Amino acid sequence: MTKIIQLSENLSNKIAAGEVVERPASVVKELVENAIDAKSTVIEVHVEEAGLQKIRVIDNGSGIDREDVPLAFERHATSKIKNEQDLFRIRTLGFRGEALPSIASVSKVEVITSTGVGEGTRIVIEGGVRKVLEPASSRKGTDFTVSELFYNTPARLKYMKSLHTELGNITDCLNRIALAHPEVAIKLVHNGRTLLQTNGNGDPRQVLASIYGFKIVKKMIPIKAENLDFKVEGFIALPEITRASRNYISTMINGRFIKNYALTNAVIAGYHTLLPIGRYPIAFLNVIMDPILVDVNVHPAKLEVRLSKEKELSELITNTIKQAFKKETLIPDGAVPKTVKPKSEQISLTLDHLPEDKREQLPITNNNNVKPREIQTLNLNRGYESSVLSKEEREVANKFVQSLMIDRKEREEPTIIHESTSLETDVDESTPLFTNDNSIHTNSTENESIVDEIIENDTEQFEDISEVKSVSSNRVPPLYPIGQMHGTYIFAENENGLYIIDQHAAQERIKYEFYKEKIGDVPKDLQELLIPITLEFSNDEYIKLEENLDELKKVGLFLDPFGINTFIVRSHPIWFPKGEEKETILEIIEQVLAMKKVDLKKLREETAIMMSCKGSIKANHRLRNDEIQALLDTLRKTSDPFTCPHGRPIIIHFSTYEMEKMFKRIM
Amino acid sequence: MKFFIQKDRLIEAVSDVLKAVASRTTIPILVGIKIDTTDEGVYLTGSDSDISIKSFIPREEEDTEIVEIVEKGSIVLHARFFSEVVRKLPESIVEVSVEDQFKTVIRSGNAEFIIHGLDAEEYPRLPQINQENSFTMPTDLLKNVIKQTVFAVSTSETRPILTGVHWTFENNELIAVATDSHRLALKKATLQTSLEQDQSFSIVIPGKSLTELTKVLDDNQEPVEIIVTENQILFKAKNLLFYSRLLEGKYPDTSKLIPTDSKTTTKLNSKEFLEAVDRASLLAREGKNNVIKFAILENDIIEISSYTPEIGKVVEKVKSLAVEGEDIKISFSAKYMMDALRAIDATDITIYFTGSMRPFILKSDSDDTILQLILPVRTF
Repeated sequence: MTKIIQLSENLSNKIAAGEVVERPASVVKELVENAIDAKSTVIEVHVEEAGLQKIRVIDNGSGIDREDVPLAFERHATSKIKNEQDLFRIRTLGFRGEALPSIASVSKVEVITSTGVGEGTRIVIEGGVRKVLEPASSRKGTDFTVSELFYNTPARLKYMKSLHTELGNITDCLNRIALAHPEVAIKLVHNGRTLLQTNGNGDPRQVLASIYGFKIVKKMIPIKAENLDFKVEGFIALPEITRASRNYISTMINGRFIKNYALTNAVIAGYHTLLPIGRYPIAFLNVIMDPILVDVNVHPAKLEVRLSKEKELSELITNTIKQAFKKETLIPDGAVPKTVKPKSEQISLTLDHLPEDKREQLPITNNNNVKPREIQTLNLNRGYESSVLSKEEREVANKFVQSLMIDRKEREEPTIIHESTSLETDVDESTPLFTNDNSIHTNSTENESIVDEIIENDTEQFEDISEVKSVSSNRVPPLYPIGQMHGTYIFAENENGLYIIDQHAAQERIKYEFYKEKIGDVPKDLQELLIPITLEFSNDEYIKLEENLDELKKVGLFLDPFGINTFIVRSHPIWFPKGEEKETILEIIEQVLAMKKVDLKKLREETAIMMSCKGSIKANHRLRNDEIQALLDTLRKTSDPFTCPHGRPIIIHFSTYEMEKMFKRIM
Repeated sequence: MKFFIQKDRLIEAVSDVLKAVASRTTIPILVGIKIDTTDEGVYLTGSDSDISIKSFIPREEEDTEIVEIVEKGSIVLHARFFSEVVRKLPESIVEVSVEDQFKTVIRSGNAEFIIHGLDAEEYPRLPQINQENSFTMPTDLLKNVIKQTVFAVSTSETRPILTGVHWTFENNELIAVATDSHRLALKKATLQTSLEQDQSFSIVIPGKSLTELTKVLDDNQEPVEIIVTENQILFKAKNLLFYSRLLEGKYPDTSKLIPTDSKTTTKLNSKEFLEAVDRASLLAREGKNNVIKFAILENDIIEISSYTPEIGKVVEKVKSLAVEGEDIKISFSAKYMMDALRAIDATDITIYFTGSMRPFILKSDSDDTILQLILPVRTF
């Protein structure tokens, strides 16, 4: 009597479903990724009861041939890879061939699909058993409906969280897919209510806006970097916008949302000293790299990946973010939320009354685009003041592009609604409608390229300006002191409005930048120890340390082997804080174990921060006008004049417009 | 620049000037002391945001040579290092000479220091003072006026004007008032001066400046000339100039705050009462506001008590020399009371109460130029 049997296919699918189909969001993710792999440009997701009742994903992708349809629900059947080599060159989101059979085994599935040639196919599968396979309408694309998820696995159903949480997971998942694929128009409808809608114009900013809102996107700046292996693109929020968790840092690799601790940390490192303690940025990064450098085959959910050259990528990201902020003026605005300036408001108003024909907008945009350039060249001659002025102009242009974006979004909305009704009610007639829609799409893509041009021009201008700025090397405009409040805050003004400066934070930043460099230069002198320090390590740490003894010698730390897994230290550098010699040694060793090198600057950074804090004028300290002026002038020379080393803001700006608004001079 | 100087005189001058040098400043050169040598002697200058002190060491005094000037010039040296170096030099004669690149050599005996100096041209200039309003008063009286008022100034910059002492001068009488809005100290002084009868002024001098001034003035009867301008005050003592900025703004009218009549008066031995308050405050210190209770019992007995639930209780009875008027129970800050008693510095004092929720005043029977006012604490 044999005890080992081959499990039936249906059973093994259910087992696979255990890890692939964890919750409704996993189904949505698999289906939408399939749709994207099928080169769809429009994807609609309808869910009911947070997906437990029904999930319906409709796309306009390539569809599935009649012959392939039953095969698609077989285990390990896929069109995405063909042989072993393909596994290392995965350019599609899926490849395992497990999702469909897994989903089908734990739910009731109905698929209507067509490649657009000949008649389509309809298949119904319940709990992994095929019920119907018949011809259907021939709208190009796939309409995939999953009903009663987990109806046959009560244990899993029982462990579903509240509808609210599950819906949150679905939204979160779709947000990220939408971000990774701004070129696809994605729409999420829950119980008839639209939760997310992107227009698929390829601009991630539009997606970011529909996720985080326009206000935040306005405060995000583009970043771009490239080296031989990687191409990084994305948008990062200015440090004034923070969140309490790391979840707002989205990282994509080759269009796939992934979770990678090292990359997230690289982003945070880019914000070093710019964020308050316990706050995290909003950031979106898309990394393009050769698929051979990334191993996706780690877990069925494909959230984790293994990266070759992870360290290099992290450094690239960190440096790019740091560089990006070096160009920006990071002065947060005062209490009043920034509204569109009257100047740009007027422009967008005239735009609204323009006829629908988009061609006609072109000359206007160009005009607007040329104007700031002219002014800028003029300004260049005028010296310092110019950069401030032209910056204003640039803002106007920026606003204009944004208003254009809003404008287009509004105009496109009806199209999408139109298209969706056609999908749901009248499948047969939908083919012509779709082509119609596509033409609109291309139209808008053209328009898109115009906008892109404007944006590009804009960045060009921006670089010009930053050049002018870097000549004067000041990121804070010249400020003229008005006075001091409570011996703590400095009030200063210039043509752009009022600035409030925290005097302690300001001097802390100045001193920090001074000490930060100095702190790494430590005397080489050694202090001999009467009673040597012995340090015991685990086996693997000991081996690693032995390899890096030279690195430690460079900083004056001589470890001699002393029995099993133990080192003895007979002397230590003289600068070690008294009474904390052993702790300091261990800290340095920890650095060596983690990074294979010693970075004294980093190690002593806290000391630098402390020194700068102690050496700075405190609050409740009166300053003469010339002292204030000296402080402001030195602050302007620092490389990061916007936050103190603890990440708190130094300067807050109230623009003249905001002041007028506060006093209701402008309503 | 090159000169030889007697070490003791240099140390004295440096430590005076050091009082004006800020440890923290936004203008780096202000952490230095400026040294100027002229035909008359050596001048040392220190300055921070509030005060500037200029000390003078003459070439000769009473026919003994103090300074030998070889070459005239100016230099700014880091104040802390310079003062510590000078203090510890081995011989009684010090040689200071400036070489290229503001490198300054300090020699004494076999010790030689080379200190990197700064360009004196960059040192901010001292304010120009014209002889506008000026009067003189003896050093000891000036120090008294300051000591009896300055402790009551506010230490918070929330209301900058209250961090200063208000000086009004009218009819040859100087009235100094300081308050932090919880207590008030007032001192009057009559001056023999050449000032014209109708001349008057009203200024507010930062409390910190006055505290520093008392430290640099010697205890003697020599007159100090005081010159007042719109935003500066200059105290001219022998071989010393002390500049202070004046606070801008209007000082609140304090004359109406001082009650003129009283419902209860009690006369106490100052020392006995101060010690009792001090003891009561031992337990009060832990609690909030350092509050003690004061009550007049029968037979002219005063009870001083304090009670802090977590720690314990203290009660002490003090015999009053005389009590008039209604009985009273009142609570106040022990610190304010001790400050006031120490400032009055007389054998007997009289306290005038007008109710347990009203301010009360302390006066000396022998000296009517001083008055202290304290606001009670409302206890529940």
